[in-house]
Amino acid sequence: MRILSVDDSNATRQFIKRAIDVLGFEFLEAADGKEGLELLTAEGGKVDLILLDWNMPVMDGMEMLKTIKASSQLKGIPVTFVSTEQERHKISEALHQGAKNFLIKPFSQEELIGKIMESLGIELD
Amino acid sequence: MRPPTPAHAGSRTEPIMKLATAEIDTNEFHLLRDYIEQNCGIFLPEEKMYLVCTRLTALMVESGCNSFTELYHKALSDGSFRLRDKIVEAITTNETFWFRDESPFAVLGEELLKKYAAEIGAGKRNKIKIWCAGCSTGQEPYSVAMTVQEFARKQRILKPEHVEILGTDISSAVLYLAMAGRYDSLAMSRGLPEEIKNRYFRQDDKVWVINNDVKKIVRYQKLNLQENFSHLENQDIVFCRNVLIYFSNEFKKNILKRISKVLRPGGYLFLGASESLFNLTQDYRMFRHTMGFYYANEPS
Repeated sequence: MRILSVDDSNATRQFIKRAIDVLGFEFLEAADGKEGLELLTAEGGKVDLILLDWNMPVMDGMEMLKTIKASSQLKGIPVTFVSTEQERHKISEALHQGAKNFLIKPFSQEELIGKIMESLGIELD
Repeated sequence: MRPPTPAHAGSRTEPIMKLATAEIDTNEFHLLRDYIEQNCGIFLPEEKMYLVCTRLTALMVESGCNSFTELYHKALSDGSFRLRDKIVEAITTNETFWFRDESPFAVLGEELLKKYAAEIGAGKRNKIKIWCAGCSTGQEPYSVAMTVQEFARKQRILKPEHVEILGTDISSAVLYLAMAGRYDSLAMSRGLPEEIKNRYFRQDDKVWVINNDVKKIVRYQKLNLQENFSHLENQDIVFCRNVLIYFSNEFKKNILKRISKVLRPGGYLFLGASESLFNLTQDYRMFRHTMGFYYANEPS
């Protein structure tokens, strides 16, 4: 599995990387939406899940989500919002725009892995 | 995250906890508190209202609900129990260490395995069943398995194949990690002696992976202690450590009674270092070890 973290916080990306390493998945990262889209294009859309922050410079997470969902090549990739945004209407908007689910920061490694499992449809035997 | 606003006494419908996440009133909190206790045994006192609010807001919206009351009713009518499991998973905490408190592993290695080895040698048994209830990400069952491996290295009668270790937890996410048997440097730094780490783990870049010799005597199963576990019968040892602390006294008594039924008579129970059976049950006899207490099953 290849998982892309798009977040302007290096500390958050490193925290996510630790969880991805533990799972034995491949970790990709970008510091804003524009960089994330460039990486997705360069990878030919071969990413299994995007963990997307909302508030970022250059291009924020909502704009990146809308671009992904408008792209025939990328729209099938599940997106989990990982954000400090906590208001109900913000979460609703993210889901309405096509995000699979929403994880509110701060979060534990187990919470993150729970969301990853849900987004990727992983179930215990 | 903003600190929670202190709770005030208020009318039942007045929002008394307003966070950036969502609002929850006392009535909704009581609905969810009782639902959570009925479905996993965890009792949340009033001061945990913020926890329900912060941890369930995203789930409430993801589930298409506009309030916590709606979430409660949706969970009640969800025949697949998926929403129930998500609520329970969001509320549970997972704090764990290798060889936590040391004492249970010292008792296991120095006394109980020695006793079982003698019984195996005398042809009185050929299996030892150990259940770790609430095993989180696997540190406890793997600590038990490494204690067995260490014991097996020092004598020739008891072999790791004689031991079956079962780890159960209510959370799929922690069980997935436990089954993977992969740990980062932070997890590895919590209570694992260097010698044991070098003997039973191999490094894979920044992750340590537990050896197959340890892994193969441990299996995992999702289990809600609120539900029937009578199928786990004939256990020789049960580790139920730092699990009961989240439960009401009534549920503690209920669980201890049911553990007594799946433990063989004379089987052993380990609790967390801060836990005791005082005023909860007469089904166990307490033993003292130099480093702590453990209990033998003597059902009344």
